[in-house]
Amino acid sequence: MENLDALLHGFTIALSWQHIALMVVGVLLGILVGVLPGLGAPNGVSLLLPLTFGMNPVSAIILLSSMYWGALFGGSVTSILFNIPGEPSSVATTFDGYPMARDGRPSTALATAFGSAAFGALVGVVLITVLASWVAEAALAFGPPEYFAVYFLAFASFIGMGGTPPMKTLVSLAIGFAVAAIGIDTVSGSVRLNFGVDELVKGVSFVVAVMGLFGIGELLLAVEEEIHAKAVSSKVEWGEVFRTVARLPRHWVTLLRSAAVGCWMGITPGGPTAASFMSYGLAKRFSRRRENFGRGEPDGIIAPETADHSAGTSALLPMLSLGIPGSATAAVMMGGLMIWGLNPGPTLFVEQKDFVWGLIASMYLGNIVAVVLVLLTVPIFAALMRVPFFIIAPLIFIICVVGAYSVSNSYLDVMLMMGFGVVGYLFKKLDYPVAPLVLAIVIGDKAEDAFRQSMLMSKGGLGIFFANRLVTTLILLGVALLVMPLVMGLMGRRARKPLLVE
Amino acid sequence: MISRRGLEGATAALTGAFGVAVAVSSLENGIGWSSAGVESGTFPFITGLIVMAASLWNLLYAGLWRGSHHTLVSWEDLKKIAALFLPALAMVAAVPLLGLHVASAIYMFGVLVWQNHIAPVRALAGAVVVAVALYAMFDWAFQVALPRGALGAALGF
Repeated sequence: MENLDALLHGFTIALSWQHIALMVVGVLLGILVGVLPGLGAPNGVSLLLPLTFGMNPVSAIILLSSMYWGALFGGSVTSILFNIPGEPSSVATTFDGYPMARDGRPSTALATAFGSAAFGALVGVVLITVLASWVAEAALAFGPPEYFAVYFLAFASFIGMGGTPPMKTLVSLAIGFAVAAIGIDTVSGSVRLNFGVDELVKGVSFVVAVMGLFGIGELLLAVEEEIHAKAVSSKVEWGEVFRTVARLPRHWVTLLRSAAVGCWMGITPGGPTAASFMSYGLAKRFSRRRENFGRGEPDGIIAPETADHSAGTSALLPMLSLGIPGSATAAVMMGGLMIWGLNPGPTLFVEQKDFVWGLIASMYLGNIVAVVLVLLTVPIFAALMRVPFFIIAPLIFIICVVGAYSVSNSYLDVMLMMGFGVVGYLFKKLDYPVAPLVLAIVIGDKAEDAFRQSMLMSKGGLGIFFANRLVTTLILLGVALLVMPLVMGLMGRRARKPLLVE
Repeated sequence: MISRRGLEGATAALTGAFGVAVAVSSLENGIGWSSAGVESGTFPFITGLIVMAASLWNLLYAGLWRGSHHTLVSWEDLKKIAALFLPALAMVAAVPLLGLHVASAIYMFGVLVWQNHIAPVRALAGAVVVAVALYAMFDWAFQVALPRGALGAALGF
């Protein structure tokens, strides 16, 4: 009940003309970055970040989170109409979305996608409403060892459940930690890892890394695949939209299963991309019309879209209540929170009630705004895709350069960004995940501080991480997740061996 | 042109070298335990070691053992990437001299004329629009002064 009151209070904050206008702007910009190849939600949000410094935090987070919703929807538009995923998390939507649109049912495909996306987002927001304050309350009792254990668990779950080669995930994570350590050490005040470059004393901002890894890296990858925008008709028939949405409840099993997968992957930092693939795989495995998957099966659109959006939304739960972002975009937003002077984590629920509940209420409204706007603007954004790639790409390049420069008016940042761009290309080409790198840059310092404070408490003994039941459980869970790929690999090899002998 | 094996190996070598640099550099800050607690080099030193170890694994496992000789990046791919990346790199290199506005306008002009075969007059218009849009959006609306470069300084901006 307490949560409901708080939520209603949140609505009184979120429901103002100014905030609705910010939602519209945010969603439209979000759809734009979602549609454009090379620009995604993490870049878009980082680009907007410097512009929010003058705003009050509630307005700023509403703008940024609306952009996130818009980008999630925008990514699906190009997946369905052009067979080009605008976001990595909407790759799975192309499998059945594009065939359905190509067969002359673009309105059905879009409405199926948006309807299930809205459902997924709703489940995510409800989960946050119910659980976030409860988790935060529990976390208020956390000391440094518990915090370190939670960070450890988050990083371990990346390695154990991210779906990418574990050793590559580990490289990505550890590089992120090292980058986070560049500059002045917050505990001792000494300069670390500046490699003889004086300017590196200021550290490397996560924005610079995001621009390079996600922006430049994605562009270099896209140019190889030579984007040919062969659009199917992008006209939206409203009658078909309503009929499709009315048919959605028949797919309740897929909807619920996918939302559950999405929420789980969003809260543990598996992220929306892994969630959408996993959900698609499950839907296919349990479907009675398995052979229809890949040819425009509605369940094949519902599963990845629901999971994508519920993961994207619920990724904000650990960010708000624990200070651990569940996705790359959430990491960028959390960076924003820290720049605005807020301290992400359980104290937010005590000290910044208006901010937290204003944000949660805005998530309900923002997603409604996003569904309406995306349907209205499909033809406009579809037309954008007909601009040749070699015109769009240089513009995105310039935007990334400006974005990296404007973080701290530094030319060095621009050069670093180009370097991150090459790394991003190599990593994506070779299935190294890049989200862990960004996450580690944002929360690396906090994880290190938690570790060092714990060590101060125990005077150097590691036993403090096994001092009580909670911290022991968290650490052991983390270790179990780390060992999981190893065990699975060994079991898989044993199962495969007889086949090889034959 | 470039095989998976080659690219895996090169990337693992790159990350491994970064790991070495991090580990060596953090030795300067001291590692281990002192009267003030965990010394500031400890955490980066450990991450450096992890990067080194995991890179070595990637080099041996993903590169030498599992990496195929099949072409992962063809000559055609490489040319396309160069066509996109090299002009952009040139633009970034020109920023200290020309400033961001002028550099991006020239970059845009070049891309439009040589890569998109657009008539020079229209390309010039496009380039000017980019420079003015940058100025209006950042310098004017959001008060973020973009770099003017040596050219800007010489002209007194």
